[in-house]
Amino acid sequence: MDELKNEVTTQDVDPEVSVPTEPQTQTGDALTQGVMHERDMKKETKKQDVMKILGKIGVYLFLSVMAFIVVFPFLWMIATSLKHLSEYYDSNLDLVLFPGGPRDFHNFAEVFTETDLGRYFINTLIVGVASTFMSLIITVLSAFALSRLKFKGQNAFFAGLLATMMIPGELFTITNYKTVADLGWTNQFGDGGWFNAFLTLTLPFLVSVFYIYLLKQNFMQIPNELYLAAKVDGTTDLKYLWKVMIPLALPTLISITILKMMGAWNTYMWPKLTTTNQDFYLITIGLREAFSSADNQQPDIPLQMAAVTLVSIPLFLVFIFLRKYIMRGVSRSGIKG
Amino acid sequence: MDKVLTFLNTVFVQGFWKTFCVKWVWQTFCVKWVWQTFCVKWVYQTFCKDLVGKKLRFNSWKGWIYLLPAIILLLIFTVYPIFNTVMMAFTNNYDSLESIGGTSFEFGIDNFITVISSGDTFRTAILNTMLLCVVTVPLSTMLALLIAVALNSIKPLQKFFQTIFFLPYVTNSIAIGMVFAALFDVVGDFSKPYLVESWGFINTLLGKIGVQPVNWLDGIGVFGDATYWPKFAVLVIYIVWNALPFKILILLGGLQSVNKQYYEAAKIDSTPKWRVFTRITVPLLSPMIAYVVITGFIGGFKEYTSIIGIFGDSMADGQLYTMVGFIYDALPDAFYGEASAAALILFAIIFAVTMVNLYVSKKKTHY
Amino acid sequence: MNKIKKLLISLTAAALAATNVIGLASCFGNNGGSKVNTGDVEVVAYDGSAVTVTFYHCMGQSLKGILAECIADFNQLYPNIKITDTSFGDYPGVRDQITTELSAGRAPSLAYCYPDHVALYNKSKAVMTLDDYIASELEATHADGTKEIMGLTQAQKDDYVPFYYDEGKIYGDGKMYTLPMLKSTELLYYNKTYFAEHKLTVPTTWDEMETVCQQIIDIESAKEGGLKANPCIPLGYDSGANWFITMTEQLDSKYTSSEKGSYFLFNNEENRAFVKKFKGWYDKGYVTTEEIFGSYTSDLFTQTEAGKTKAYMCIGSSAGASYQRPDLNPDGQTYPFEVGVTMVPQENPETPKMISQGPSLCLFKKDNPQEIAAAWLFAKYITTSVEYQARFSMNNGYACAIQSVKDNSVYADFLQKADGGVGLQASAVQLTMNYKDYYYVSPAFNGSSTARDEMATLMKNCFQQDPKSGETEDQMIERLFKDCYDKLKKKYDR
Repeated sequence: MDELKNEVTTQDVDPEVSVPTEPQTQTGDALTQGVMHERDMKKETKKQDVMKILGKIGVYLFLSVMAFIVVFPFLWMIATSLKHLSEYYDSNLDLVLFPGGPRDFHNFAEVFTETDLGRYFINTLIVGVASTFMSLIITVLSAFALSRLKFKGQNAFFAGLLATMMIPGELFTITNYKTVADLGWTNQFGDGGWFNAFLTLTLPFLVSVFYIYLLKQNFMQIPNELYLAAKVDGTTDLKYLWKVMIPLALPTLISITILKMMGAWNTYMWPKLTTTNQDFYLITIGLREAFSSADNQQPDIPLQMAAVTLVSIPLFLVFIFLRKYIMRGVSRSGIKG
Repeated sequence: MDKVLTFLNTVFVQGFWKTFCVKWVWQTFCVKWVWQTFCVKWVYQTFCKDLVGKKLRFNSWKGWIYLLPAIILLLIFTVYPIFNTVMMAFTNNYDSLESIGGTSFEFGIDNFITVISSGDTFRTAILNTMLLCVVTVPLSTMLALLIAVALNSIKPLQKFFQTIFFLPYVTNSIAIGMVFAALFDVVGDFSKPYLVESWGFINTLLGKIGVQPVNWLDGIGVFGDATYWPKFAVLVIYIVWNALPFKILILLGGLQSVNKQYYEAAKIDSTPKWRVFTRITVPLLSPMIAYVVITGFIGGFKEYTSIIGIFGDSMADGQLYTMVGFIYDALPDAFYGEASAAALILFAIIFAVTMVNLYVSKKKTHY
Repeated sequence: MNKIKKLLISLTAAALAATNVIGLASCFGNNGGSKVNTGDVEVVAYDGSAVTVTFYHCMGQSLKGILAECIADFNQLYPNIKITDTSFGDYPGVRDQITTELSAGRAPSLAYCYPDHVALYNKSKAVMTLDDYIASELEATHADGTKEIMGLTQAQKDDYVPFYYDEGKIYGDGKMYTLPMLKSTELLYYNKTYFAEHKLTVPTTWDEMETVCQQIIDIESAKEGGLKANPCIPLGYDSGANWFITMTEQLDSKYTSSEKGSYFLFNNEENRAFVKKFKGWYDKGYVTTEEIFGSYTSDLFTQTEAGKTKAYMCIGSSAGASYQRPDLNPDGQTYPFEVGVTMVPQENPETPKMISQGPSLCLFKKDNPQEIAAAWLFAKYITTSVEYQARFSMNNGYACAIQSVKDNSVYADFLQKADGGVGLQASAVQLTMNYKDYYYVSPAFNGSSTARDEMATLMKNCFQQDPKSGETEDQMIERLFKDCYDKLKKKYDR
């Protein structure tokens, strides 16, 4: 019972206050241990070591099992995409990629012949890069205003901003479609067609409350003194933003960039609704469209899996190379939340 | 229930109340009160007061100028749709196609009554949504917490595992829903084994260890009966799987920023591991746990794409209806009034739950 | 100072009110910039001006190729009409896209449609009635200077299969809304080799069907190893919804009506009786449906591997004939068995009833009358062009909407080769044409397409669900019918 009480008090201590006391505790630690008999201590440590190793093994085992469960759907997806339809039903248990039998990339070849994959890829890239760029500008400006400037209605505005996150966005779709159509942007043929398609696919999603929130939190961590000092020096806000804030918040900005690009890669409903000219299809609709038709056809699961794999692989690659930034971006909001 | 509804119907929709109460409340409360106190006063205070009062502060304007691009886009693509949604919800039986055709609609609350009195459908939607939240949020949070603590306690391979656990975050939920469906799906007539073409991966696996096959996805029934739970189980597995990466990441981030001192202190006292966990780790992580739980609830209430991905557009013939599913289902027939009303009800629920969550977490969190 | 304050307040209020009014105006219709026109549209001759016609359909890859050639040929006649077509995967895809666009006051010029969809679109009054165009004597000039009348000539009108042509007028007001594009029906495919081997007669009625199913089960049980080694399901039905609706037609027992207030009539004793009878068949292992099997039953029908479950009869779309054909033998020349095709079983063979399906074309009203005129010309071209009707039909097994296609030498040749193997599609097309007097079409109204889907679910539920404790099978069927009826009634007919 005493132990418990001790712990409760320990955790109530403010971490910052207790930092200087750290060395002292360690000295105390050495002292108490020194009192023990040497033999007892050895026995004790041996037992502890065994327990420690067993514990470590347990931890690794647990993590491995969980990791396997987590990656399993992906492994299965890739394994299936290499199969022929005829053998899919018979052998859907084998996970091993090449256990004899024909394993080839014919499904992938089919995906490429059936769709204009290159074009969809470039479309997605253009939309992704452009919308990310514009979105970053808006996000930076908004986050700067909300974190550094003081003005009337600031808090109310921010609260309102956060409240919009709670509304199911699905219902915006129809009104937004109407707005876009009324603006004439669904007219995507002819000379200005590409520009209309571009506006339709980018503008409605430029403001992301989540990213503004993320960046605002990041900006808040930068000491205000820097800003005040800059003010005294007569630096303009924009210059300060560009020279000081952006470099300091660069990791978060990179994270936002990547997350936004990933969003462009995965988006489906809106482009499907608003892209009237097939030339401007994004990659997900392009793939979907190629594998569903009114013909009386059986679902070809290996072929679908090949398509899904193709959509997913670029994401995985981006993720593996830029893991650090993505994870930081996602976790940043949480740590300060 | 029906009696109450008939009563509400007579009271609110028909006769005196409709003209008096609804219109009067609308005019005095909404139009006058909301208008004056909220719009006029607030807008005036934020935009005009500084202008009128002598102490015009440049900063104030500058803030809004920085926000201008965001505000313009928000007004067009977020605020106006919200406004339009509210309007459609309070327009009796609003049907977007008929509206184009020139039909005029009356103001009223019929849509809400239609939604609430749609009986089993609405009840199923609410129950499913609630049940999913109540089961998946604690489950995924606890699992994520265990994994995060395990990850935090190792050095070698930590980055490797971290990467793997984050993988589900970077995928398209409809696509991976298809994978899950294929894993569990029994192709054929489950009740007649000779008519089964494929038992699916999971059943084959269960068969190897001597477990009878389960009809995971295709059983016919209603909410809560014997055919419901296998489907529910699949859905929970998928949602938890999908929710893990975000939660692990946040909790791990939290763990890494926890002051090492507490653990050192516990080490000296040779406190048992589990006690360290419940007495130190959990309380110190409580802000992150609260965050994860709140976002989990909001996400849970919006659950839809995972169900479409696994069970198709019919959401298992309505057995797995959720609130958002309810909204989407009204759209192909152009029943936008009903869909809007359902969306507002959903918003109200999410709002209430979030408030309760915030309240509870404020009381329980240790900062 | 106070005055200025007041002035500002009222100005702000006025500005907000103004935006509010604009918002209201735009969410309650009458949108100035909207592209569809819901008023009356004047019939004009196409004057050669440059217009774009958008065409929504759900053709697969191979049909899209033919469509592209068709458009190219059409452009030889009218080079200034630009036709942009988009495929939306399947019929619900087309429907959902158009519904959303219509909700925002937009629509394509021309679209693939089913009667159910037209009934839905018609809520917006934006679907073009075709009567005035059909009767129009105005003339349009081709690129080479020759002329054609905008309307249909008597010969063209007579060329459409009458039943298909009249399908455009089933919307209660006697007006014509659609032109038939390609049509199909349901046919009974059977394993001819197996039937000959065991001297089975091909069933023409449901009673005979029951006998044949039992015979097949007896034959298979008598084989070495019994049913365990030779699992079978005599009949596969590829659409439970079609089964239900066709039965109500054959029994004349009511399904739906186009009368508001009594749209749904299917909840009656006769219908429950036949569902109960077929449930008995299902329980005895005579039959399965696509919805229950979870995949097209043609899979079972074309199964040839020993020890795997086989179906010996399958009822499916005539447009899906190629899926009812087994894979070639290893020699690459012959088929493991011959497929026979015939009419679906009837309740009364004297007056057969068969479902008619397949896409039609509808036009939407637009502000620019030239766009409608151009869309109409293309719709006319694609449905009356013998060459393209024949090519579409040969590609996928749909039957043509026009009769003169038989005179086309290539098509006649195609039909000549009708058999139970390579020529199975031709056999199916031939039958679809032969049965042209037996078709029925169900009333189309808002909700009729959901009703169809619900019938499939209802059949599945009745077949597969177990009665609750203390409930008889009859009571269960009664309950399921009532639930289904209530659901539809509440949603569409309140």
